[in-house]
Amino acid sequence: MENLAKFVFGFYALIILSGSILAVGAKSLVRAMVGLIATLLGVAGMYMLLNAQFLALMQILIYVGAVCVLIFFAIMLTRADAGGEEAESAPLRQNLLALTAVLSVGGILGWLVMTRPQATTGVPTEVPIEQMGLGLLGPYGLAFELISVVLLVSMAGAVLLAWERRNGK
Amino acid sequence: MSAIPAELLHIIIGLVAVAASVGLIGLVMVWVERKVAGHIQRRPGPYEVGPSGVLQPLCDALKLVGKQLFMPTGADPILFWLAPVLAFLPVLLLFLPLPVGDGLMALDVNLGLLLILAFSGLAVLSVLLAGWASNNKYGLLGAARAVAQSVAYEIPLLLSVLAVSFVAGSLDLAQVVKGQGTWPWNWNIMTQPLAFIIYFVSALGETNRAPFDLPEAESELTAGFHTEYSGMGFGMFFLAEYANMVVVCSVATALFLGGWHGPVLPGPLWFVLKVSALMLLMVFARWTYPRVRFDQLLVINWKWLLPLAVANLLLTAFFVKLAQFA
Repeated sequence: MENLAKFVFGFYALIILSGSILAVGAKSLVRAMVGLIATLLGVAGMYMLLNAQFLALMQILIYVGAVCVLIFFAIMLTRADAGGEEAESAPLRQNLLALTAVLSVGGILGWLVMTRPQATTGVPTEVPIEQMGLGLLGPYGLAFELISVVLLVSMAGAVLLAWERRNGK
Repeated sequence: MSAIPAELLHIIIGLVAVAASVGLIGLVMVWVERKVAGHIQRRPGPYEVGPSGVLQPLCDALKLVGKQLFMPTGADPILFWLAPVLAFLPVLLLFLPLPVGDGLMALDVNLGLLLILAFSGLAVLSVLLAGWASNNKYGLLGAARAVAQSVAYEIPLLLSVLAVSFVAGSLDLAQVVKGQGTWPWNWNIMTQPLAFIIYFVSALGETNRAPFDLPEAESELTAGFHTEYSGMGFGMFFLAEYANMVVVCSVATALFLGGWHGPVLPGPLWFVLKVSALMLLMVFARWTYPRVRFDQLLVINWKWLLPLAVANLLLTAFFVKLAQFA
């Protein structure tokens, strides 16, 4: 069973990695979105592996079923076809900056994980949804509300961006 | 060599059974739909091949399998073929948590309802990809309609399902069925009639069935998102549509119509009978009502279904809380 879990972990990690590379590197926006979907599904699989079924299904329901569909809608409205502006490769400087960003975050995280290994906690137990709901409204209420503030900020940002573009015309 | 885990074996047997029944359901439904359409329009429907034309869908299926697969020039080769596969594969998963009888389900999870709702969202993506990758104006228009429609109709669907699971106190379909009784007045439809109507209308919208079949409207968009698909490419979309109908009707049966409960006859038979009755209702609806206009479609959802569903949910929550204190 343990070998099976390792194999499944490797499988999901492969999906996440290849999906994210496709999402960043694809020339067509729709293909990039398919990469993003693959990544999100892979992450959902990781949640499943951690025995967090509710989280995994919510990930699929919200991110794949709603957010990606809306992204697709936005792509469709902008008519970004394969020969468009976005299809050209980014300049070298941008690529270097992106690589630095990835390496710094990944490096710090990797260093932390390597130098401070956590003891394995054994097979994770499933938390019933009732308990999870009570937790979100009780002891973790503040964190829950803060997350909604993040959503509010991103929505306000989107409105602001649209506003400026309309003023510019 | 260690033995294969029993759970894995259970799921594999379930998957094989599901795949076989999806094929069979597709064949039967094609015949039923053509026969019903024929009789409603005062013509006999298929009657040449076999008694009353029962073997007609078999010939149609053989023809579909034998047809050449085409791809239009300028289409995205990967996404074009990914779309029908993405339409069909999740459907097999949707069948797993359906409680056909007491303890008779392929995958016994306590979040079965959520699993169905989550993976049915992938159907929209397949429609979108098909419409986009075809490099066809009709396809693109069909896809654009599909987004607006399914994003809208998913909300009342979820809200009406949630009302029932409030009453039952569980997201497990088997648990919801167990909370209901043998006779029709013990079923959830008696306490949640409004939720049932909202669920059924939204389900018609979610499965792109007439009168809400705007993404593939034959008379305006040729065939909408699957205009460019031939042979089994089209066949996969077709099978997925019927399979989705069965899933939607099965969930309705389990949530509102008492699932496998019923007098005299064995449980699984009752389940199949109820699902068949709902399927027949969907077919009748298709041949009775004309297709709605796009603005009407959105008005039905945003001005009627959504407020009603929210009101129903609030009332349900209120009464559930009241029952706890009483």
